[in-house]
Order: sequence, then C-alpha cells, then structure tokens
Amino acid sequence: MAQQDEDETMTDDGLRSRGMRDLGPEAMRRFRAVERSFLDVTGGRGYQEIRTPSIEPLHLFTATGALSPQLLDRVYSFLDWDGWSGERVVLRPDGTVPAARWYEQRWQTAEPARLCYVQPVYRFVPGDGEREQWQVGVELFGLAAPEADGELLMLARELLEALGLRDLAFDLSHAGLVRAVLGAARLDAAAQGEAYDALLAGGDLASLPGVTAEVASALRLLSAVDGVGAGYFENLKAALLPIAPGCAEGIDQLAAAARVLDAAGVAYRVVPGTARNFEYYTGLTFRVRSGGAECISGGRYDGLGEAIGGKPVPASGFGADVLRLANLAAASSAAEGAR
Amino acid sequence: MTSPAPQPQVRVALPRGDLRAGLAERLIAAGFVAEGYAEGSRAYRFAVTGRPEVLVRVFSERDIPIQVALGQYDLGITRRAWVDELLTRYEHDSIVPLRSLDLGVERIVAVGVPGTDIARLAASGVVRVATEYPQLAARYLNRLRIPAYRLIEVWGQAGFWPPDDADLAILPEDVSALAAEGLATVATVHTGSAMLIGNRRALAERDLRAALEPLLSLPIGLLDGGAEEPRPLDVPRGVRVEAPVHRDTLRLAVPDGHAQRHTVTALADAGIVLDGYEADRHVRRPTASIPGLTVKVLRPQDMPAAVARGQFDLALTGRDWLAAHLAAFPSSPVVELADLRRSRYSLGAVVPDALPAANIEEAIAYWRRDDPRRPIRVASEYAALADHYARERRLGRYQVIPISGASEGFVPDDAEILIEGSETGTTLRANQLHMIDIIMESTNCAIGNAVRPEGARGELRDDLVARLQRAGELVEA
Repeated sequence: MAQQDEDETMTDDGLRSRGMRDLGPEAMRRFRAVERSFLDVTGGRGYQEIRTPSIEPLHLFTATGALSPQLLDRVYSFLDWDGWSGERVVLRPDGTVPAARWYEQRWQTAEPARLCYVQPVYRFVPGDGEREQWQVGVELFGLAAPEADGELLMLARELLEALGLRDLAFDLSHAGLVRAVLGAARLDAAAQGEAYDALLAGGDLASLPGVTAEVASALRLLSAVDGVGAGYFENLKAALLPIAPGCAEGIDQLAAAARVLDAAGVAYRVVPGTARNFEYYTGLTFRVRSGGAECISGGRYDGLGEAIGGKPVPASGFGADVLRLANLAAASSAAEGAR
Repeated sequence: MTSPAPQPQVRVALPRGDLRAGLAERLIAAGFVAEGYAEGSRAYRFAVTGRPEVLVRVFSERDIPIQVALGQYDLGITRRAWVDELLTRYEHDSIVPLRSLDLGVERIVAVGVPGTDIARLAASGVVRVATEYPQLAARYLNRLRIPAYRLIEVWGQAGFWPPDDADLAILPEDVSALAAEGLATVATVHTGSAMLIGNRRALAERDLRAALEPLLSLPIGLLDGGAEEPRPLDVPRGVRVEAPVHRDTLRLAVPDGHAQRHTVTALADAGIVLDGYEADRHVRRPTASIPGLTVKVLRPQDMPAAVARGQFDLALTGRDWLAAHLAAFPSSPVVELADLRRSRYSLGAVVPDALPAANIEEAIAYWRRDDPRRPIRVASEYAALADHYARERRLGRYQVIPISGASEGFVPDDAEILIEGSETGTTLRANQLHMIDIIMESTNCAIGNAVRPEGARGELRDDLVARLQRAGELVEA
C-alpha cells in the first residue's frame, strides 16, 4: 500500500493545486500517530486543545509585526466576499498569532493558559515545495521566564521521546540578547530593522552595517563561539556587559535554560549570535534536532499580546511540522528495528 | 468545420500606448520590422518582415507579463513595473527578465498632499492607499512595517483619490499632473524602464532565435532599477481601527471617459446642474447648485467599491460594473437605486463566427472534443464576471485571463471566450465574431448603499434618486 503515498507533492495534470499534498492511508496513519502522541503528552501536562479559523484578517499579522516583510510577501492573502472594504484576509500563515488572539479574546481567568493545536499553516513556497504545512504547537500564556522556558524545553523533549526520536540536541539563543546588543550599538529603529532582516537572511551580527569596531569585537564571542557549559555564560558576561549592560537578563535566562537541560542530561549548545523570527521573539528561543534533523522550534514572545491590542502577558511556545515528525519517527523506528 | 491555421513558431507580445513609437523605431533599427506597428496601425496582429516564423501581437502593457507567464507568448516587451507587479506575488513564475531597454523610464511613487509624513499616518491609524499596483504597494508597505493599511485597488488615475478618499496614492510619477491635483511625491516605490521578458519554458525548450536575436540586440537600458527596499519606519505596533465616516454632505460620484456624455444628459434631464461637468470637459470636483451635495469625478469601474466603503452616498456608473463588483464581493451593501436607461449595451460571451456551435453547451463540447480536460480560456476586463459566468455555465476546468483593454482579437487565438460588451454588434461582425450567450443588458444607473443615510442626507438622496428615475423614464425603452 505504501506506493499510494509516494510522490504526494508532485503536480499532476492540473488536478491538484501546486504545492498541495495528498495524504494516503499510510501517511494518515503516521500523521495520526504523531497527533495522538502530541495530544497525550501535552494533555498530560495540562495543555488544552484549541482550533482557530483558517481565514483571519491580514491586519492581525501586519499589526503585530510578527511576520517579516519577506514572509508577508508569501502569504495567501486575498479579497473575500467582504473585500469591497479593501481589507484583505489571509489563510492562516502562522499558528501563534491566532492563538494569542484567542487568548486575548477568550481566556477569562488569571491562571496561566496552556494551549495546544494541530492545524495547517499556508505559505507560498517556490516550485513544488509544500505550501500547506500541518503543525502541532503549544502556547503558554501567563507564565514568565525562566519557569515557563524550562517547562517548554522539557515538554519538547518529552514529546520527541514519546515519538521514539533519539539523539536529541537543543540549540539555545535569546532574542533579547541580540536586541540589547543592537541597542548598545546605537542603531536607530530603522537600522535595527535592517539588522533584523540581515539576521533573518543568515547574516553575521559582527559584520552588520553601523556596528562599531568595539561592539563588533565584543560580538565575536556571540557569533563565533557556541557555548556548551556554565563557563560560557561567564565569558559572555565579561565580553558583553561592559558594552551592553542590558544583556544581563538574557544571559541569566539562557543559563537557567541550560541548567534545566544539564539536569535532564540533554545535549545542548548555546548559539546566541543567531536569531530566527527575530521580530516575533523577545526572550529565549530554541530549536531541537534529532540526529541532526531539526524537528521543533520555539521561544518567548512577550510583546505579542499587547500588539494584538490586549494586556501585556508573558508568552512562549513551540511548533513542529507534523509530517516531518512522522517521517523522523518512522526512520527512527526503522533504525531501531534494524539494530 | 475549420482546421486551425498553422501556428507561428515564435510569438512576441509588444505594447501599445506611449512605448509604441520609440520601441518601433528601435525594432526597425534592430532589423525586426513588425509591419504596421511603427505606423500605429489599428491592427492587433502583425507579420514580421523576412521572419515568417514570427508573429507579433499588441497588448496593453499590463497584460504582457500575464501573456508571457501563461506561455501564450514566448517573448514580450513592457514596462518593468508591470513585470515586477506580477513577479512580486508570483515570484517563481515562468517569466524570465532578459534585458532592460533604453526607453520607457518610469518611477512608481507614493504621493500625498505636500508635507505628508507616512510614519505619522501609520502611527495614527489605518493608512488608505489607492493604486493600480496592489502587489508592489503591499510589498512596499510591508517593508515599511506599516501596522495597518488598506489598499484601494483602482482601474487607473490613482492620483484622483488623495487627500479626501485616500491618504496616499501609488502611481507612475507625472510631476505636472501631480501638481495639478495638489499632490507631491512622498517616496519612491519602484524604478524601471521597458524590459524584454521571455517565457521560461519556451526559452528552455524551443528555438526562438528568429525573434530573440534581434530583440537581444536592442539598446540596453542603463537603469537597473526594481522595487525599492525602504528602511522600516519606527512606528509602534498594534491594531488600528479605521475611524467611522461622519459627514454632513451627500457625496455623489460621476464618471469620466465614455460614460460622461450620457451622464451629463441624464443629469440635465434630472434638473441637477453641476458646474464643471460638461459633455466634453470636467474638473475633478465639480460644484453642485444643490445645497448639501458635493461631487467628485471618478472612474465608473471604481464606483461600486467606493460606495460600499461609504466614501460616496450615490454614484452614476454602469450596471455592468455593479454586476462585476457584486460577482467579486457578494456581500457588498451596494444596490441599484435608479435606472438612467442610457449607455445601453449587451454584455455576453463572444466567440468566433467560425465556431461550429449554436450555443455555449455545443461550444464547450466542440472545444473538448479531443481532450476532455482541456482548460477553456475566458478573457475579460470583467474578471469576476467572467469567473461567475464560467461557474454558472459549468465550463468545468477553465482559466480566467484578465485583460485591461485591447480585447480585439483575443478570440480565437488567445482565448476561447471573450466576455465583452457590445452596443450594436457592428464591431463584432466586422471581426467575424458574435455573442453566443448574453449575460446581461447594461445601462447606466445610480447606485447607493442598501441602507439609506439618516436625516437630511437621506432626504437629499431620496430626492436625487427620484429625479434620476424620472430622467430615466424620459428615455424610450
């Protein structure tokens, strides 16, 4: 039966839209297995499932600044039946912003909200790449760093282990650290925006335009050395605090996250000079790899609630591509079987 | 039964309009003589001297990137702004930019009243932007990181919209026209010149030398250009809410262009005198003798959406444009209030006389006789109406090809069906075409919101509608 699931993303005679994939019975079995594990693990930790609409107003995403201009170029936005107003709607390009909207509009208590979802996001991808991506995600509103950061790191690990994934390694970074450094480099808001874009494009902090030689020198440690132990955080403080005292909190939060992983015996490295989805995140960010393949990414985005028009609230979360997890789980299971 | 004529091997799309004269001169110098193109012939299809394998077809500049992307034409020359307008949204599409040419230099700019500060606008609310270039405009506004904007997509003359109906317009810069509207350039959005483009697949698979060689010898443009990369504005994030519209006066929109003459007559019959709006001339904002009434001249195509947004209370447009608007936006609150019964014509599906079919069902069967899954191409200026028609008539797999004027000759070569208006059918007959299916009879009409304005404005609207209705009744059915 496996051949039914082959070539699922290939375009075929115009009968299926480009970049959209079918999931045959075998792929659906694997999809559901991931979904079940995800809901079991998150449910066991008090996370409640929500589902948000496929169509949202585009301005929800422009107003929050949560998506880079380059990503906004690639969303499925259009004028719907009410489009005479000139107001575009968009097929959900991201899971976190709608979840934050849901929290602002629907969550009635002062207790932290532990939410999770399984739903697709839509983005244009060149060629025959997948334009509909099913994601599992969790969002934790109302609980601040470092407690919430530690909870999410352990939840990510528990989920991946439940899926049978081995050789887990965490990459830790901190958006606040990068931001503090850019502020210390006296870049104005526009230049910081350009710096974010350069970072998103894979640029190196130390070579950004407008960065002085002194700052660049301090930044080398950020950009050239990946930390793997407690001593690294002391070195970072020595290099960065003289030029950017605002970094202290970020370094402490990174160190706290590292302690959680150390205690659990999980491998990690600290890569503070990288930043992904920079505008989105305000604190710790992390990616998890299994056998070298990236499988989960997430972080802290404390500013999102206010940007949506709500109250300031600490918030963090992570997400993963369901089918990627399913493929990694299948490969891991096959490797186990071969042993 | 007719057998299709042998297809030329290389198909080239060239622009009409103001690029034509300069381009024709350069084409002749390059040894690519499209017979009649330089002379401004009204024909739309040209043979090329000494190159029997090449066919040239003339399109509006805006349509050329679409035709090349679809693979209907292998090569095309048009302004870069229209190429980038398409590529901004569909960036890995089948267009390959081949060469910037040394003519048609153009700057697409954001304009507003002198002294307009985009950052201040963005900080204070929803920024309303009128433009014919929605993709380039959205790209620019996203890069400025404007938290909330609203694009007013117009058919042309975006400069008519600020300051009363938009905060900014994004349009090709024309300094004297801007000054006449009391506007000034605020920022550059895109620069470019005329550009030679090719279809990726045609370039990859077929021998296009007969046209490619001479076209690649055209003088190269020095301007590289492209979309600007503006620095992000320092504007606080957050949701902005558009302020509700409050006004004491009733706003009336009247059309320019072909519709103007008939509208002037209808207004005269209704006893509505507008100073500055005559049969052959108009000012942008004519003055009305009726207290409480303000008037603006707009494109009739843009009126239904403007009424829906609440920018105008009453507008004189064509029923075709109202139908096109409602086909695109079925929940729009705009309704017809009075039939002026002028500018009468039929809108329908146009096909060649040679098509062996008595009705649209037979036509569909004929087009699909060899390939049941073949897409049927429906070309039209009224893209939403064409889409609606294709669904209603169960065309199955179809492609809507949007066109912006110069619809002559689209069928049978570039589309199976053309959705088009015809007053008497004379032009259709002259081109061996006929209307196989009538979609609607269009006349000019007064449109407004389904909800009547309250108070004095509502009373004034009632009065004007009653007068316009009586003016319509004066016309022989």
